[in-house]
Amino acid sequence: MAAGGAGGNSGKTYSFKVVLLGEGCVGKTSLVLRYCENKFNDKHITTLQASFLTKKLNITGKRVNLAIWDTAGQERFHALGPIYYRDSNGAVLVYDITDEDSFQKVKNWVKELRKMLGNEICLCIVGNKIDLDKDRHVSVEEAESYAESVGAKHYHTSAKLNKGIEELFLDLCKRMMETAQAEERLKGNGASQSASSRRGVQIVDDEPQATPAGGCCSSG
Amino acid sequence: MIPKMFRRQVELRAYWRKLKAFVKKLSLQRQMMENLIIAKARQDALQRKMEERRLRLQEEANRRFAASGAMTAEEQEQRTLYTNVLEYEQDHDWPKLWKANMKENPDDVTLVSRLVSYLLSRCDHPVVKLLRKHQYRVYNGLYPIVSKGLPQSPAVLLRPSRSTHNLLHPETKRKSTNTVSSGQSFSTSLSLSPSLSHDLNTNYDDDDEEEEEGEEPHTQLTVDRENSFEDLEQFLTQLDLAPPHDSTDDTGSDSELTCDTSMLKEGHIQELEMRAMKEHLKAIVKDIHIAIDQLLSLCLLSFECLNTASSKDLCLASIEEAFFTPLWSALVALFRKVNREREQAFETSMKLYQDASPGVLGVPSKLFPPEPDTLQGSYPYKSAVQELKLLVKDCCPQKKLECIVRTLRVICACAEDYRCLHEVDSAPKTAAIGADDLLPILSFVALRCQCPQLVSECAALEEFIHEGYLIGEEGYCLTSMQSALAYIESLHTGGTYLPADKLI
Repeated sequence: MAAGGAGGNSGKTYSFKVVLLGEGCVGKTSLVLRYCENKFNDKHITTLQASFLTKKLNITGKRVNLAIWDTAGQERFHALGPIYYRDSNGAVLVYDITDEDSFQKVKNWVKELRKMLGNEICLCIVGNKIDLDKDRHVSVEEAESYAESVGAKHYHTSAKLNKGIEELFLDLCKRMMETAQAEERLKGNGASQSASSRRGVQIVDDEPQATPAGGCCSSG
Repeated sequence: MIPKMFRRQVELRAYWRKLKAFVKKLSLQRQMMENLIIAKARQDALQRKMEERRLRLQEEANRRFAASGAMTAEEQEQRTLYTNVLEYEQDHDWPKLWKANMKENPDDVTLVSRLVSYLLSRCDHPVVKLLRKHQYRVYNGLYPIVSKGLPQSPAVLLRPSRSTHNLLHPETKRKSTNTVSSGQSFSTSLSLSPSLSHDLNTNYDDDDEEEEEGEEPHTQLTVDRENSFEDLEQFLTQLDLAPPHDSTDDTGSDSELTCDTSMLKEGHIQELEMRAMKEHLKAIVKDIHIAIDQLLSLCLLSFECLNTASSKDLCLASIEEAFFTPLWSALVALFRKVNREREQAFETSMKLYQDASPGVLGVPSKLFPPEPDTLQGSYPYKSAVQELKLLVKDCCPQKKLECIVRTLRVICACAEDYRCLHEVDSAPKTAAIGADDLLPILSFVALRCQCPQLVSECAALEEFIHEGYLIGEEGYCLTSMQSALAYIESLHTGGTYLPADKLI
């Protein structure tokens, strides 16, 4: 569903949407702020602060525009998740290694994402707060074997110590690029198809949604 | 003797004079005849020349599209439109001048918008003619439904300033007379049927065909065409004035049916009607997308210099603004009918929670002032609420989207301020506002906005948001807005949420 957001008409620029999921206190806000922080520029935070962040990257000569969508972790907003996920290329699911509950929540989200977006979305399961390893309640083996069982990658990070975050996102970007390229090959080079299927008309929900994700990277 | 001769001479002279005048008249008439013949010959020659030119332009257009191979009806239409553009350019100089100007100043960003708005102000240009054609078609699809089932009150407030004719040309008031005349020329091909059942039960495509066949006389009553826009005006005014559930109740043709049928049947009919209405809305949304795509491509064909990524976006924005401005209120009226239940749920929650503190909605206490009294007649996030209230006043999707973005930015700024109030002692921490904080605040703001119409407005925006914006800040803001609205709708049921797929 989430077609790799490759800009078909203006060279090699990829636009990817990544959703950020995690319970309230797992530190996902700090994690993403760390990542988008610019040492040379104090005004790194957008006007929407940590809820919506963008980052421009250059990976093996290809430009990548990353849009990171934070989602609300509270139970009361759970039902509304799907409208955030749609057309996502990747998801970062954060839990707190000292909080078993937050890991259970990650499992729920994985199920939901797979159900909604199939195997095209690249999943990253992230155990945050490794600086508090002495209070660890989620074992490394358990987390890693779970991630493998659902086709996700597992990472350990510490937002506090700025550990593992850069690697996590770089890895995710590379995987999303691979997925996008595979999809391009599959489509043949159907470059001109974007005009006709530009917008999915979605009023009746039984209709399969066939909108390619943000194809036009020139605008916005 | 002498006087007699004199008299005859006078008579003779008079005769002579008459004769002279007659001869003069004759020769004049002959001359006129000749002139007429010459004129006719000239006209014929001109006609031939025009015909030749048309053929030549047609060939030119054909050459331009030659690569496409087999022609579909759509391509055929585009080719004809392009021929019209070429013809227009033969008769008018300004396109050439603008093209030259664009070539000379490729870095002037304002030039693109200026060109497009100038183009859209030329009523006789094929692009504008096409725009009007599509607008009337969409309007035609909306009118029978939007106008249906409203109380027929004779005393209606008319707001002439919102007249559709004027809105067609918001940028040039002087041109309004031209607009009216072009409008009427189009409206002659319209026949508005007030019967909803006809329009809903027939397939939309059938309606299309009927329209394309031209002057197919409808059997239904034809609404006075001159007044059709005014009628719409009236109905919309009533829609604005009446509370949503009243305005959307089908008191019209349904009443006779419900009299002698069971409640079950009534429910069934309403269900059918709703389904038909949704289908109709879907068809209209699709039509609008096709119309805008077609307008954009004709625009780019007319001015190739606009065919760069950034110019294209500007061009599209201008077209959308011109397209939606006169239609939005009718369009949103249909969205409101389709989303009636959601709006009602929103209203119920709104009444229950209108005085709730932000904390009730899950806003952490550090993000709003502890003592509401200290605000003196105000309430937290008032500036964001005021911003959001402006949304319904705009008439074009892009502007509405910008309004939502501004609302969220104001929220973030307010939240930051409130947080600083709480942390006077300690140094400001790096923790910024994330979605965990943003969504409860946004829900609070939307609730305080007290405008159930927001639900339909956002549903419409969802359909018309330009794809390039979906992934960016605008898309994020709209998604957050949608989530907040859905959350509010679910509030009054005390925790049972709407199924999420309803929103997708």
